[in-house]
Amino acid sequence: MGKWTRRAFIGAGVAAGGALVVGIAVRPGNPVDQLSPLVAKGEGEKLINAWVKIDAENIVTAIVPHVEMGQGIFTSLAQMLADELDADWSKVRILEAPADAKYSSSHIGREFLAPNLEVPEILEPTVSGSFLSLATAMTLQITGGSFSIRGTGQRAMRTAGAAAREMLVAAAAEKWKVPAAELRTENSMVIHDKSSKSEPFANFAEAAAEQNLPAKPTLKSPKDYKLMGKTIARTDIPAKSDGSAIFGIDADLPDMKYAAVKAAPVVGATVESMDASVAKNMPGVLQILNMGDFVAVVADGYWQAEQALATIETRYSKTEGDTLDQDALFARYATMLDEAGDSEGDVETENGDVTNAFANAATKIEAEYKVPFLAHATMEPMNCTAWVRDGKCDVWSGTQSPLMARKTAAEVSGIDYDNVTYHNAFLGGGFGRRSEMDVIIMATRIAKATQYPVKMIWSREEDTTQDHYRPSATSRFQGGLDENGKAVSWSNIHTHLFDPQEAPTVPYYKIANHKIRKIDVPTHLRFGPWRSVDHSQHGYFIESFVDEMAHAAGKDGYAFRRELLAGSPRHLKVLDKVAEMSGWDQPLPAGHGRGIAFVPSFGTIVAEVAEVDMTGAKLKVKTVYVAADPGFAVNPDGFAAQMESSIAFGLTAALYGEISIKNGAVQQSNFHDYPILRINEMPDVKVEIINGDHKKLGGAGEPGLPPLAPAVTNAIFAATGKRVRELPLSKAQFT
Amino acid sequence: MIKLNVNGQIKEVDVDPATPILWVVRENLKMTGTKFGCGVALCGACTVHVDGQPVRSCSTPVSEADGKAITTIEGLADQDGTFTKVQQAWVDEQVAQCGYCQSGQIMSATALLKKNPNPSDDQIDAAMAGNICRCGTYVRIRKAIKAAAGLSSETQEA
Amino acid sequence: MKAKLRALSPCLLMALAACGSDPAPEPTEQIIVREPGAQPSAPDASQTPAADEAGSALAEAGKQAFNSCIACHTIKKGDGNRIGPNLNGIIGQAAGAVSDFRYSAAMTSSGITWSKEELDSFLANPAAKIPGTTMMAGAVSDADQRAAIIAYIEDSSAN
Repeated sequence: MGKWTRRAFIGAGVAAGGALVVGIAVRPGNPVDQLSPLVAKGEGEKLINAWVKIDAENIVTAIVPHVEMGQGIFTSLAQMLADELDADWSKVRILEAPADAKYSSSHIGREFLAPNLEVPEILEPTVSGSFLSLATAMTLQITGGSFSIRGTGQRAMRTAGAAAREMLVAAAAEKWKVPAAELRTENSMVIHDKSSKSEPFANFAEAAAEQNLPAKPTLKSPKDYKLMGKTIARTDIPAKSDGSAIFGIDADLPDMKYAAVKAAPVVGATVESMDASVAKNMPGVLQILNMGDFVAVVADGYWQAEQALATIETRYSKTEGDTLDQDALFARYATMLDEAGDSEGDVETENGDVTNAFANAATKIEAEYKVPFLAHATMEPMNCTAWVRDGKCDVWSGTQSPLMARKTAAEVSGIDYDNVTYHNAFLGGGFGRRSEMDVIIMATRIAKATQYPVKMIWSREEDTTQDHYRPSATSRFQGGLDENGKAVSWSNIHTHLFDPQEAPTVPYYKIANHKIRKIDVPTHLRFGPWRSVDHSQHGYFIESFVDEMAHAAGKDGYAFRRELLAGSPRHLKVLDKVAEMSGWDQPLPAGHGRGIAFVPSFGTIVAEVAEVDMTGAKLKVKTVYVAADPGFAVNPDGFAAQMESSIAFGLTAALYGEISIKNGAVQQSNFHDYPILRINEMPDVKVEIINGDHKKLGGAGEPGLPPLAPAVTNAIFAATGKRVRELPLSKAQFT
Repeated sequence: MIKLNVNGQIKEVDVDPATPILWVVRENLKMTGTKFGCGVALCGACTVHVDGQPVRSCSTPVSEADGKAITTIEGLADQDGTFTKVQQAWVDEQVAQCGYCQSGQIMSATALLKKNPNPSDDQIDAAMAGNICRCGTYVRIRKAIKAAAGLSSETQEA
Repeated sequence: MKAKLRALSPCLLMALAACGSDPAPEPTEQIIVREPGAQPSAPDASQTPAADEAGSALAEAGKQAFNSCIACHTIKKGDGNRIGPNLNGIIGQAAGAVSDFRYSAAMTSSGITWSKEELDSFLANPAAKIPGTTMMAGAVSDADQRAAIIAYIEDSSAN
């Protein structure tokens, strides 16, 4: 399998990107005829364009090309579409788009390939069309990168809603024989005030679908928003409160059997032999499979499969990774960083003369930081159900990339793509983990061997040891201050770079001379995007070092950052807001401390202050204050929920998160040795949102995370004078 | 055959008595609201009530429930679908994110409030510490429990 | 039009677009025990663990109660550690002494020797007795249940 990584994709896009911007220009037509059999099969339903259907009861359905993994995206995207459509929210329903190329995420292509592309508005539909073609070709239908609202929402859902509205109005104008300009829309009705006529959208749905797709539908300006910017209750929450919500693991088929699996503990090893003599006599067991890279037991029930699997003795092949230990890996990072010295490695950004500026600095600061591998540990263990038979293949799971899942299942099963159906469900947590195709491949392979439907579930132990991990990393800094304590040089070299490319850079901090380099260090563990990806490491590295510079300059962390952000009013506003919220100037009791950190990422500017209490046996993070500017928060409470979530996720990593390697294998296995933050450790979280630029939206799912760890470690420093240069904090006996 | 009382209904299942309640409920009875999270009673996603007591169904053999009443998340709401106070509070406070752990959270919270209708913050934390939420909905879980108990929460602005 | 495009890597594009160059391997070994729907053969009696020697009535009750511990702990001598250590012979031992088990620092430095009384108070509330223990589950609030579990541990260790 060609493995999809965000990094591969960045490289990938550019080839085609160059071509499509200058040459290819495909304007998509209205594909309702092809799509209706997929999404509008119900009686009386009429598809207006790819994203909207209206039925005879005047129910508007927003077709959302993203997956719901907790971020509330179904509701927020529908909100955007419904607002532009002037739909009655109480009559709006949401449908997840099928795994079909027509619903590729053109915006992902665009954001990844040409993030700074500026096009005259008149050309927007053309360019969007070409990106759709490209995304289709690349089977992209991805939820990730905190892109859904700023990409799909802004470019597809709003446009689709506005276009549908114009088409309905045009149809009404024809029927009533009045100028379209005299019509208005409200609450899913078309209204002609002059003649006091008003009819529901449903009456015009059929005629609207025959209208030309508007080339450039008019979008609302913020003063006219009715739904966007309002807190609206998430539509998926009731089903998640009574057990009726269906996740991938809940797939159910007649005569379905269950598989438990165990993969080789060291990546790349194969199963040389297995002794299944006990397992094959155990109750419920149907098949025992040596798949080469893993062993599977298929049984009438999952527990039976697990019990039998536990008795199988397996020998694995030797691999180069077998000798690798955690300390050796960090030692390798150190050696390679030493070898890179002051000048080697790939230069990511450079400005001024950092060597000279550092040499002449009045005060010199140097520091090295380390972070470990991290697992995603979604609450729903990885799983997939597959059924391969008679030239057909059906696959059920919860994935962040449905179209890729369908393509993968087709390749693995050997069945024609058109006869493969992928069924997506709610994701019991994604965080990047469910963008990988490993479970789709494994379940399809098992089902191909059995020819009857099989639900494969990973144990928590498999989930922990067979993840695609956030990489461990080491980062070294040199910083120079002049005699007034002003930052004059910033030099950084770090291991690895995946995504986003700008994660190690600090363009928002005004430092005249800076140079940032990276070195690539091969590791045998699989890499996977992990909530906020490289920002999760660099946020900690950068904001720790800024704090060290501030301390060396004899300045307060907030005041020092204010100087660095001079000339960036939007950034400053966020920093000032968090200082105000946290009562930065107010004294704290002895043994308590506040730490501040500031990281813009995924288009959203976030500043956080953590308040810690170091007087007890264990570190206690009491309160985290978050000020965030996402441009415009479409659903403010949903945005706040994502900030709270990022704090919990980031604090879990900061306090406990560590995947370590011994003899090439992951040592942790379950929540006792890979602990997750529990409710008694959860700080209060206060969130304030600044709507700084309604035209430039940022993400919500990830940007709250990067500032958390440094805010906490900077607070520990404020309280104790001890600087934490390695995570997790459990290593320093703080927890 | 084992005879079980699940959500007030008598069910007969033909399983090994050592099978954990979790898998009997999910696979034999096709009630999938109860979730598998860790398999070893560390995360609480599988919490159900046995005679009103919260238990980790992934680590409790079905034989333990012989002659006792099992309540799962599906058994909380009224026949007509009306939510319990706890469930309604979960909706009102917009607790769930991915939602996977929430059945277990709601079962633990329901048991807590039955035993202690006016829990303090510390008592809430203590009773709920066995339930992991990877999305970190803890702030809202605290609020929802207080709301369900009819206690005022200091932060009602959300 | 201002476009800033990133460095080009055609081979990666191929890697992405040309999935499937590596067809999914078939099983190297496939043991079909029975087809679905077929009646399972009678369970092999030799697979059923032999009943433990009858112990005191309390230990017998403890065997039932110990069911809530078996997810993490083995009790038979020589059985391996699981999430938690093997508990054979634990009574009388120093805390944190079972070989090959990765204990929390809190446990190894607790200074506790596992008398029945110490075990009892630990089981009542593990996190309160040894803050920082990785034993997250397993608190037994019922004193009779604790007594039974401890009797069972003692009994099983003697056999």
